[in-house]
Amino acid sequence: MVTLAGGDGISLFIPKLYDIVWSLVILVVVAVFFYKYFMPKFNSIFDERAEKIEGNFSKAAKAKEEADEAKKKYEEQLNGARMDASKIRDDARSEAKQIIADAHSKADADAAQITATAQRSIASQQQQAMVKLKGDVGTLATSLAGKIIGQELKDPDMQSHMLDQMLDDMENEGKQ
Amino acid sequence: MFESVSKTTILAAGTGADLPTVKDFLPPEILFQGTPFAINRIILIRIVATVILLSVLALTASHAKLVPGRWQSMIEMGIGFIRDGVVYSVMGELRGKRYVSMIVALFFTILVFNLCGIIPGANMAATATVAMPLAFAAWTLVQYCWAGIREKGAWGFIRDECFTPGVPWPVYFLLAPIQLLELIIVRPASLTIRLFANMVSGHLTLATCLAFAQYWVFEASNKLTGVPVGAMWLVGGLIMTLFEIFVAFLQAYVFAILTTAYINLSYPEE
Repeated sequence: MVTLAGGDGISLFIPKLYDIVWSLVILVVVAVFFYKYFMPKFNSIFDERAEKIEGNFSKAAKAKEEADEAKKKYEEQLNGARMDASKIRDDARSEAKQIIADAHSKADADAAQITATAQRSIASQQQQAMVKLKGDVGTLATSLAGKIIGQELKDPDMQSHMLDQMLDDMENEGKQ
Repeated sequence: MFESVSKTTILAAGTGADLPTVKDFLPPEILFQGTPFAINRIILIRIVATVILLSVLALTASHAKLVPGRWQSMIEMGIGFIRDGVVYSVMGELRGKRYVSMIVALFFTILVFNLCGIIPGANMAATATVAMPLAFAAWTLVQYCWAGIREKGAWGFIRDECFTPGVPWPVYFLLAPIQLLELIIVRPASLTIRLFANMVSGHLTLATCLAFAQYWVFEASNKLTGVPVGAMWLVGGLIMTLFEIFVAFLQAYVFAILTTAYINLSYPEE
């Protein structure tokens, strides 16, 4: 303590020549090292790292974009498929209706045709019956007439009267 | 009790303890005596510290990977701290980019040089002679002038430095010398003395603690009081060692941030 207080403390603040020389040498060495090697090296590493991180970010963003696009596409397809399905359903429904309607109308037509055919056949049978009946009646009439003529033709008035009456009867029968 | 201890402590100073003196900072030349390249103990510490610092950093840089390991992360944290926390926060990124290398170099070098003060075997900060802090301060001054001249031209820089714009001209008789004095003497001196004096006082305090511990434990005749008192000094030395680590960081940081602030002053106001 005594030495410190009374010593030549001021000499501490006066740099020695060799001290200055070595300090400057070291300063230059340190400066050159940091400027030419250390900092450029680390700066390049920092830059490279930042670039890589940024690259990864953009890659991730791109991947997300792609995924979004795929999702959109998929949803569009799904919607399309849904629409197609409902369209097909509607089509099928209307087709079925059409088919049913067609069947109805065809059945109606068939029924009508069958009815008509039946009627026609009834009519023609009636006609045939009529024709046959007429023939039979004629024959019957003739034979009847023969009989009548044989017995009563002696009376010409009677004969004429009977014939007329028979014809009238036949006519009346035909009308009925 | 305490009074008597402190009295005997002071007495001890005069009698036996091997206390640090100013001569610790002016050790004899051990190599190339008498030449401008003479080397004494502190300069040897400085050279060894430089070699170790640069070797370690060179090794780190040459093995640096994109994905850093623990050690590389620590170095990168130091760089990032100075770049973002000191240079960019004071100057902004655009101006500061040019000075990051310098400030990082200053910070790392001063930190390691300061830490030599508590490294066993060295026990003396490599910044504990005035020339080394002075060299750092001179570097700051050169950068300051260079930055100013590049921005405003040589004449514009000198004019703005000595004749601050916006002041009535008679004031310049007073102001110009003060401005010049501040630029050339006061700022470098403040940088130099702050660092240097911190290292000197740190060494003196620490060495005093340890010298007294040594004296009380081993040399005092009365062991009954000597050992406890010596232990107290030892604890003091331990605390001072931790404090010196803190001071080493603090002074490196302060030097870095003041250098940045000084260089920033040379730019024209925006």
